[in-house]
Amino acid sequence: MMNYQFLVETFFVALSGVPIALLVTVVALLVALPLGFLLALTRINKIPVIHHLAKIYVSFVRGTPIIIQIFIIYSSIPLILKMVFEKYHITYDIYKINPIWYAFIVFAFSTTAILIEVFRSALGTIEKGQLEAAHAVGLTTFQAYRRIIIPQALVVAMPNICTATVNLIKATSLGYAMSLPEITLKAKVAANVGYNYVEAYLDIFIVYLILCSTVEYLFKRYEQHLSKYKVANA
Amino acid sequence: MEKYFDASYIWNAIPLLLPFLKVTFLVAGSSIVLGIFFGLLLAAAKLSSMKVLQKMANLYTTIMRCTPSIVLLFLVYYGVPALAENIGINLHAIETAFFVVVTFTLQFAAIMSEVIRSSYLAINKGQFEAAVSVGLTRFQAYRRIIFPQALVIALPNFGNAMIALLQEGALAYTIGLIDIVGKANLIIASNINAHALEIYIALAIVYWVLSIVIEKFFAMLEKFFGKGKITLETT
Amino acid sequence: MLTIKNIHKSFGDNEILKGVDLSIDKGDVVVILGPSGSGKTTLLRCINFLEKADQGHATFGTIDVDFQNVKKKDVHAIRQRVAFVFQNYNLFTNKTALENVTEGLVIGRKIAKAEAIEIGKKALDKVGLSEKYDAYPSQLSGGQQQRVGIARAVALNPDIILFDEPTSALDPELVGEVLTVMKNIAKEGTTMLVVTHEMGFAKDVANRVIFMDGGVVVEEGSPHDIFVSPKEERTKKFLKRVIPEDYTFYI
Repeated sequence: MMNYQFLVETFFVALSGVPIALLVTVVALLVALPLGFLLALTRINKIPVIHHLAKIYVSFVRGTPIIIQIFIIYSSIPLILKMVFEKYHITYDIYKINPIWYAFIVFAFSTTAILIEVFRSALGTIEKGQLEAAHAVGLTTFQAYRRIIIPQALVVAMPNICTATVNLIKATSLGYAMSLPEITLKAKVAANVGYNYVEAYLDIFIVYLILCSTVEYLFKRYEQHLSKYKVANA
Repeated sequence: MEKYFDASYIWNAIPLLLPFLKVTFLVAGSSIVLGIFFGLLLAAAKLSSMKVLQKMANLYTTIMRCTPSIVLLFLVYYGVPALAENIGINLHAIETAFFVVVTFTLQFAAIMSEVIRSSYLAINKGQFEAAVSVGLTRFQAYRRIIFPQALVIALPNFGNAMIALLQEGALAYTIGLIDIVGKANLIIASNINAHALEIYIALAIVYWVLSIVIEKFFAMLEKFFGKGKITLETT
Repeated sequence: MLTIKNIHKSFGDNEILKGVDLSIDKGDVVVILGPSGSGKTTLLRCINFLEKADQGHATFGTIDVDFQNVKKKDVHAIRQRVAFVFQNYNLFTNKTALENVTEGLVIGRKIAKAEAIEIGKKALDKVGLSEKYDAYPSQLSGGQQQRVGIARAVALNPDIILFDEPTSALDPELVGEVLTVMKNIAKEGTTMLVVTHEMGFAKDVANRVIFMDGGVVVEEGSPHDIFVSPKEERTKKFLKRVIPEDYTFYI
């Protein structure tokens, strides 16, 4: 039988994990958006070495499950830090590092790769003539990108950025592997006491549903706002 | 003193992991076949003229898109037996693989319905009109003209969806499936948690190679089925 | 051979066809003229059931249908006897020129493949594309694609071919090759119903011209009747607009 009292109580427990999930999402995006864009430019302009590295990086992130990326980063960073600390005789207990730092690194790492591809394909849809026209009216390349190319590419990229963001929010549910106290872990811990797993996962499910559909809705609104210049053609 | 990182663990782990790809493939394969079937039904609902069907199919897709795989996995793992119990069916002794397949079928069907819908819509209405105008029945028009063209359009998205499914499937270990991730965790446990990093790297390599192979395979298929799209080669 | 009575069609509140009658005999080449939005194309599409007409009656040889309640079987039977040439060609993009022509024969008509290929090659030869059997639509120019479209229709050996503005998607320099092909098949006695803006074709090839405007037939008659001595004011106005002042007819 369903334990309704638990269901209601745990809903708020799950809800209390939302700020952490959102914080991780926002930090990851703040890193990944500019970095992804810059690396996309290196891919398009075929900057030697960097564009090859970027290609391998994207291939790795797209080719491996994010849970395994988490495993690898979560177990390699302490090893690296330990070596560094021993070398420089720093005494700091690496096991005291707040797991949220690992979460920032993991999700910024994977989201950057996804956004490289998003920006690359979006920039690919902008006609070369736009840059040429911007140059022709006397804009520098930097100005042309900032005022002409990026605004157009952003509109094209928006749906994919939305998908990437929703996927990122969903991926934070894997924070349990780093002991990150986000939505899933919090509710699951609450369920451990009385084995009310069905109720707990129902709560988690509802919280993500609300969270992700709200984000989707906001993106859609923003997209309409951004693409107003397109309406004139329709 | 033992090294922190020993690459030989990576190469030693891979042959131990590979046999368990069988489980990974079996679960992914079943989910793909069932997911395509239900995805077709969902796509048909979305393309039908009945508003209720459209709304329901779209709602389902939104829900699936907004649910993390791991949450769906546990919801199915705990929820389905609880539901079954209510109607007097005991599912507690059933294999974990069953719940994994149910979960990823639910998810894959939603993704496939979007892939199918968008590739269908990408085909010019005139293709169907031309087909019936030369005397083909509706069914023949779909089978011989619309479907082959839609397939080519759907291929890249289908390939991506398959790779995504394979990766999401890596979470099946959380409910106790011994696929390659489950096996990797067993190996780590038998090493008393030492050298976990190397085993995870081995795991990453297996997935990475697999994804690249699938990608290349689909690129090949696309080239093979994409006849009629070649513009410069012959003539 | 083909008779249409009182056909009506609306899209939402917009009534496109307001009761059109039409009758075509074997060997007729009928051209429908009219300003855009007059319902010409819709009429053609309704005849082949690409649009579902709201009311009206049609007789195709021995088949009688009411547009309100057509049976699937009748639609299929009529489509087997009526061929259609589309404005934007609508060649099957996944099939070669020859396969485009044989598709309807092999699958729709159950003709043996070898025989269908024979017929298909002949049809493509007739439209001057003997070199292009194995080309895909994407490898052909617009004019060539439309000629395949015509070959596809001719190969079916239909009772009538409907042409929906067959040259209006083409670059001007490609229009001629398509019109020539159409003239040739008209000469062979093919029954044709053609919606076009090509006045020259109407004048030279048609034996009957229909002028439509606002969803009704305004006037019909021989090319001479329509072009030289039109009776209706609307016809005169239309012709004045589309034909330059110094254009003279030699009929």
